[in-house]
Amino acid sequence: MDQEQLSAGLSARFPGKILGVDTFPGTNGRVRFDATVASDLFRSLRDDFHFTHLTMVGATDWIDHREVFYVLWSDADRRYLILSTDLPAESPVIASAVPIWPSANAHEREAWDLVGVKFEGHPDLRRIFMPEGYAYHPLLRSFKIHEPEDLEVKVRSD
Amino acid sequence: MSGQAPETSKPLPRTTPDSTPAGDLPLAVVGQPGVPFVEIETLRAREFIPAAKEALSSLLKEQAQGKLIRPVFNWAGRNSLFPLHWGLACCAIEFAAAFGARWDAERFGVVPRSSPRQCDLLIVNGTVTWKVAHKLIALYEQMPEPKWAIAMGNCATGGGPFRTAYSVVPGVDKLIPVDVYIAGCPPRPENMLDGILRLEQLIKERGE
Amino acid sequence: MTEMWVNMGPQHPMTHGLWNLRVRIEGEIIKDVEPEMGYLHRGIEKISEDRHYNEIITLMDRTCYVAGLSWEHLFIVAAEQALHVTPPERAEYIRVMSAELQRIASHLMWYSAFVQDLGLMTPFLYGMRDRDLILDLFQSYTGGRLTYEYMRVGGVRSDLPLGFTQRCRQVVDWLMDRFVEYDQLCLSSTIFHERCDGLGVLLEPEAVAYGVTGPMLRSAGSRRDLRKDRPYSVYDQVQFDVATATTADVTGRYLVRMEEMRQSVRIVRQCLDWLDDHPGPVMADHLPRWLGAPYAPMGNESYLLKRNYPTGVGLSMIEEPHGEAGAYVVNDGGEHPYRVKFRSPVLINIWAAKRYLPGYRVADIPPIMGSVDVCVGECDR
Repeated sequence: MDQEQLSAGLSARFPGKILGVDTFPGTNGRVRFDATVASDLFRSLRDDFHFTHLTMVGATDWIDHREVFYVLWSDADRRYLILSTDLPAESPVIASAVPIWPSANAHEREAWDLVGVKFEGHPDLRRIFMPEGYAYHPLLRSFKIHEPEDLEVKVRSD
Repeated sequence: MSGQAPETSKPLPRTTPDSTPAGDLPLAVVGQPGVPFVEIETLRAREFIPAAKEALSSLLKEQAQGKLIRPVFNWAGRNSLFPLHWGLACCAIEFAAAFGARWDAERFGVVPRSSPRQCDLLIVNGTVTWKVAHKLIALYEQMPEPKWAIAMGNCATGGGPFRTAYSVVPGVDKLIPVDVYIAGCPPRPENMLDGILRLEQLIKERGE
Repeated sequence: MTEMWVNMGPQHPMTHGLWNLRVRIEGEIIKDVEPEMGYLHRGIEKISEDRHYNEIITLMDRTCYVAGLSWEHLFIVAAEQALHVTPPERAEYIRVMSAELQRIASHLMWYSAFVQDLGLMTPFLYGMRDRDLILDLFQSYTGGRLTYEYMRVGGVRSDLPLGFTQRCRQVVDWLMDRFVEYDQLCLSSTIFHERCDGLGVLLEPEAVAYGVTGPMLRSAGSRRDLRKDRPYSVYDQVQFDVATATTADVTGRYLVRMEEMRQSVRIVRQCLDWLDDHPGPVMADHLPRWLGAPYAPMGNESYLLKRNYPTGVGLSMIEEPHGEAGAYVVNDGGEHPYRVKFRSPVLINIWAAKRYLPGYRVADIPPIMGSVDVCVGECDR
């Protein structure tokens, strides 16, 4: 299935919700979609278009909005597909992909931990890398890299 | 008769009589992954270490104010440094390579042990993050005295290439006292062995 | 029977790194597991946003410290796509050769650590001895044992030294004989079979659903290998077979990795033949100064005077020794990448422990988790 067929098939199933299909080298393209149909789109991609593997979920902070991207793999086409959607920066919430692809579990926890995107329906959305109770989402652009503060060096007491 | 404890045996006296009776301690918390696991071993060690310290110091007093036995302890201790078998990051691979066939660190009496209670040397071989910091301190405190620490590699020395990262401790000497620093990213196994030999020299000079 | 949660880690001989496996046990039987990660989270994705592309390669070596060159390759493929740079073919062959040698070294490290967990000490000494031979080769052309900083956007840093191909052939010939020895040491040992056969079974549909890749997936009979399915670099120019097994257990993973090392030797030999016949440049021409001159003085203004460079996004997926690794690089036209995101195969493979551990006994955890080949550096990043 090439990019045109995929694009036509998706547009027919989700009229008005597929915002565009860009060319992306080495893949079947990048599909930009409306986050409101996320759950149905994932199910359709897995069942109708045979994207059985979810390879990666990540998020980017574009300051005025946050982009969530998914990388899927189809064994039939042997090609990747990139999904991308924009979420408002003040309430970045999207449906979780865990019910469709269980492998999304760790990826979504990571995206919540580092970029602060909430995944509705995730069974266990906790921080994965930073300790529980950490106050920031460090991969936001507002979180600045800084030199560590000077701490006291421990010496032997005896 | 065999297999049964004699009825007359009394329980050993507890060194800290006002601590919580053992029966009230939760052995483990069932269910709920969020509840931290209670380490009952730590509580026992807290009683054992002062007792062992007391016994050792009384022995030293008896032996002519330590003139006879101290050099022997020092000689034995510095030639059998047992590091903790704990790999943190990249340097742990070179740490493992040093115990391989080419470098054979065991000829210096360096034998990694998996339990901190059998160790007297903590080689911090990698980046220390704030998440693991309190566990590292706990491991260091579980080691019996006299104990030593080596900061292996740039990360353990001062944060290394990850110094500006939000989650990294800028040098393990902010957490525990360090005796020898080894530079390198990662240090070669020769450097690690050199660091251990320098620590042996240090122990000899301190005369503990 | 009492149920309880037991922590295995972060300091435990089973973990081979900084992570914690929380196990819910009932007697000796594992009921549920919960991996806890993040003890080695070093913020590599964040500090990458503050570095030049060629400076991130330094971090890549430390990301996966047993397969540094593979991860350099991963980042370089994505960065070149994002920056619209094409490397010369000789550089591609050197990269593929390096990545395959690195695969052998990584598998040997896994072999040493894994078989030692089973109680066999000799394979550790043999494996580390032979791994050092490969590290000597790396040292002769990159200068480092573990951290190489060898690949660059647009090529590799330097060409191979004189006589390298000859030395490399000697080493891989020696290794081919040693692989027979390894199999004799393990597969003829009763201890090995008692502790490995039929453990940690993860069948293909479950492995796919849980995102498991690499030797763990191929041990379940899948023929999925990105070097074949979606050839990057010059993998479409070399001949090799995909190693598979059908048992889907610990022994199957062992067999897959052993066969992969043999196939890697095959690829290395073909690359060496090609490199002997095709001298040429190893760095692309006309690179912008800030990108192509890694040793330019930092105070020099021209180092930062660039811009007018097209923006782009790069996605690379490569078959790393542990599984499928991915990099997603967003270039917004600046000298630093806007966003770098990595996919770690180890994180997902450990995560699937929820699926393949329950039902076995506590004593089975070291061989099963050992067969995953854990490298926490890339898992936590």
